[in-house]
Amino acid sequence: MFGMDAVSRNNVTVTGRLDGPVVMLAHGFGCDQNMWRLVVPMLADRFKVVLFDYVGSGRSDPSAWDRQRYASLEGYAADVLDICVDLDLSEAVFVGHSVSAMIGVLAAARQPDRFGKLVMVAPSPCYIDDPDTGYTGGFSAADIDELLQSLDSNYLGWSAAMAPVIMGNPERPELGEELTSSFCATDPDMAAVFARTTFLSDSRGDLASVTVPTLVLECSQDVIAPRQVGAYVHAAIPGSRLVTLDATGHCPQLSAPEATGQAIVEFAGAPR
Amino acid sequence: MTTVLNLTTRPVPTGTVLTVAGELDHASADRFLTALATIPLQQGDLLTVDLGGLAYCDSTGITALLAARNHAQARGAAIALLAVPTATLRILGILGLDQVFPIHPAPQGDTDPSA
Amino acid sequence: MCETTDGDPEQDTGAGGTDAVAGGEDADEAEHAQFSALLEDSAEDLYEHAPCGYLSTLMDGRIAKANTTLLDWLGYTRAQLVGCKRFADLLTVGGKLYHETHFAPLLAMQGKVSGIALELRAADGTRLPVLITSTVKTGSDGQPLLIRTTVFDARERRAYENELLRARKHAEQGGAEAEQARAEAEQARQAAESEHARLRQVMAILQHSLLPPDLPQVPGVKAAAYYHTASADQLGGDFYDLFALGQGQWGFFLGDVCGKGPQAAAVTSLTRYTLRAAFLHASDPAAALDTLNTALQERYTGTDPRYCTAIAGTLTPHGDTLHVTVASGGHPPALLLRADGTAEYLPTPGGLLVGILSHPHFTTATTVLNPGDTMLLYTDGLTEARTADGPRYSEDHLHAFAQTLAPADAQQAITALTGLLKSFGDGLDDDTALLALGNPAPHTNPEGE
Repeated sequence: MFGMDAVSRNNVTVTGRLDGPVVMLAHGFGCDQNMWRLVVPMLADRFKVVLFDYVGSGRSDPSAWDRQRYASLEGYAADVLDICVDLDLSEAVFVGHSVSAMIGVLAAARQPDRFGKLVMVAPSPCYIDDPDTGYTGGFSAADIDELLQSLDSNYLGWSAAMAPVIMGNPERPELGEELTSSFCATDPDMAAVFARTTFLSDSRGDLASVTVPTLVLECSQDVIAPRQVGAYVHAAIPGSRLVTLDATGHCPQLSAPEATGQAIVEFAGAPR
Repeated sequence: MTTVLNLTTRPVPTGTVLTVAGELDHASADRFLTALATIPLQQGDLLTVDLGGLAYCDSTGITALLAARNHAQARGAAIALLAVPTATLRILGILGLDQVFPIHPAPQGDTDPSA
Repeated sequence: MCETTDGDPEQDTGAGGTDAVAGGEDADEAEHAQFSALLEDSAEDLYEHAPCGYLSTLMDGRIAKANTTLLDWLGYTRAQLVGCKRFADLLTVGGKLYHETHFAPLLAMQGKVSGIALELRAADGTRLPVLITSTVKTGSDGQPLLIRTTVFDARERRAYENELLRARKHAEQGGAEAEQARAEAEQARQAAESEHARLRQVMAILQHSLLPPDLPQVPGVKAAAYYHTASADQLGGDFYDLFALGQGQWGFFLGDVCGKGPQAAAVTSLTRYTLRAAFLHASDPAAALDTLNTALQERYTGTDPRYCTAIAGTLTPHGDTLHVTVASGGHPPALLLRADGTAEYLPTPGGLLVGILSHPHFTTATTVLNPGDTMLLYTDGLTEARTADGPRYSEDHLHAFAQTLAPADAQQAITALTGLLKSFGDGLDDDTALLALGNPAPHTNPEGE
């Protein structure tokens, strides 16, 4: 919407060294900017860290939800660009988790000046196997339907995840703040749309448009973005670097925050 | 809203007496006509309409009496009105129907319920 | 066997009683021991055969411990799970995706997740709907050590939830259908309303067509009229007209068709046009009524006799007077308001209503209207109106009213009587028509007298 303040709409948080180079952390499907909690402190000394929630996730403005816009990855890329405009960002390091990596690719293709580097954390350009081309995404269309059903059946128990809890990390006591009750609890309707958009999208063709230095961080054991996918992305983006983290699961920023943060800091801080 | 209309018939040697009590107006005229159709009349019979209990009669009521006259005449019978209340008599007079219907007063000794 | 060589991570937390042995001289103690024995043998037995499944996994998801209940549910041996499989391996594909995108992050951030509905895959491939609650157990230094998970058999609950979802969908559908039905009913109501409005419009037009739009200008005659319908919905049965007959003569009539509604309106229409035509051919008003009588009688017989009352007449100027001839068919007599202030009825007794008998008698009367005289025709709505006290207004009251009114020209008479009609309020429950025909007062006299 013309004139809508993206900073409020997308619950933008700016922290760290405000005169430093910009690192923009983008969450993927499932949760919100709080995913990056353990990594932010590692970046805050040197960089200006920008976090946000896509519309339909976290504490973004629910009234800004638009079924049409957010049924396509372009809609999410538009969120990113709106924030860049509001904060007047240029040459930012975009760190996208999971499907957000592809969202970053689309945003950079539209406004290349905004971004200087791209970090893809556990990315996948396409989750569904494509037997014709021999591409292994890891899942079939039926698998994706199962996920949607799983979202639906947990709606009745959705409120169970609402209670705010204290998140503790003894090494970082300053992180012992109360999480908002919105973490990982999205409106089921919006979540279903985001899920569909994420898992049914095919961004393989967009990878070739990437012109900025790119780091691909994959996990050693990731059901959602298996090793073949990491290899595919690395091969599709000329000049990219591939780092395999010793981490299980799909969220290394949570299961292996030090390694993840380290890799981002090194890449973001290195001269172009 | 139904108006109160009581109709009774009784055969007499010369024909039938149809006793009308209550209100004869556009709401009840149909019932009058229905009752009329059930009365057997033959050539030379007399249909006497006893209006002693008639509380109210409007132009539809007058039409119903005229229909009764047509009904009788079609069967070769005659019609007469009995114990016509004053108000109805006046209307019949203005309409000239006092020249058309034979009108008889109530028999001596009968009380006029439409006081 | 692929158990971890680290030993059972749960060992340091394990606490448990030994098998209770009945011993000691104290009867209480023996009873207590027996009681315990009855309830639970040991913490171990409580763990292994709990009514729910217990699962412990390392932080990377590898299964470290599982209780017998869970193993039985899934059809696995301990050896097949512990150290070999990850928790995620027990989930369906959709469950895996959910686990990675919601469950694991939540657990990592909050240290606890409860009441998540998932499906576990048994060894034989069947699916077991479950409710999962997991907590992260930390060591004494706060480092996360393992994840403890409770698994509840949710088959009944899932069936109930599906039923609820189904019922909700059904209700939503019902709600949507009800909403649609309501919208349709609203549409129908609006259609009915606009139809009703249209009909009213039609009736108003028809009504209008049953009356002369304006009285014609008659040289040497002042004319005025008024019409009142008792019901806005029903077409009235009263009628009047004033029209030229040629050679300076004018015809007029005013009457009342019995009944209301469209049938009466049809009779009114027939009456007006028949009388008008009859006047042009007849030599006098009574003959015109006769023609009307024949027309009505011919058309309406049997159980639906239709009749009307009417007063009809002619106006013929003679010098500065107007000669009037009227014939009445069962109609109230005309009222004469004289220039000298007196008022009287023009009697026409004995005329029969029109349309019933084959050879009816219509009573004729004549009068002369001198300058300042006015003749008033009316229908019985006026005299039958209920006054505030109860009884009908009556001819006597009308006569008295006319006496106070006279002398009056046609318009004054109509105005005064219109006021009178309005004063009856609800007491006036019948249609009423008024027609006043007057000989204008000489010009030298002041107006308004």
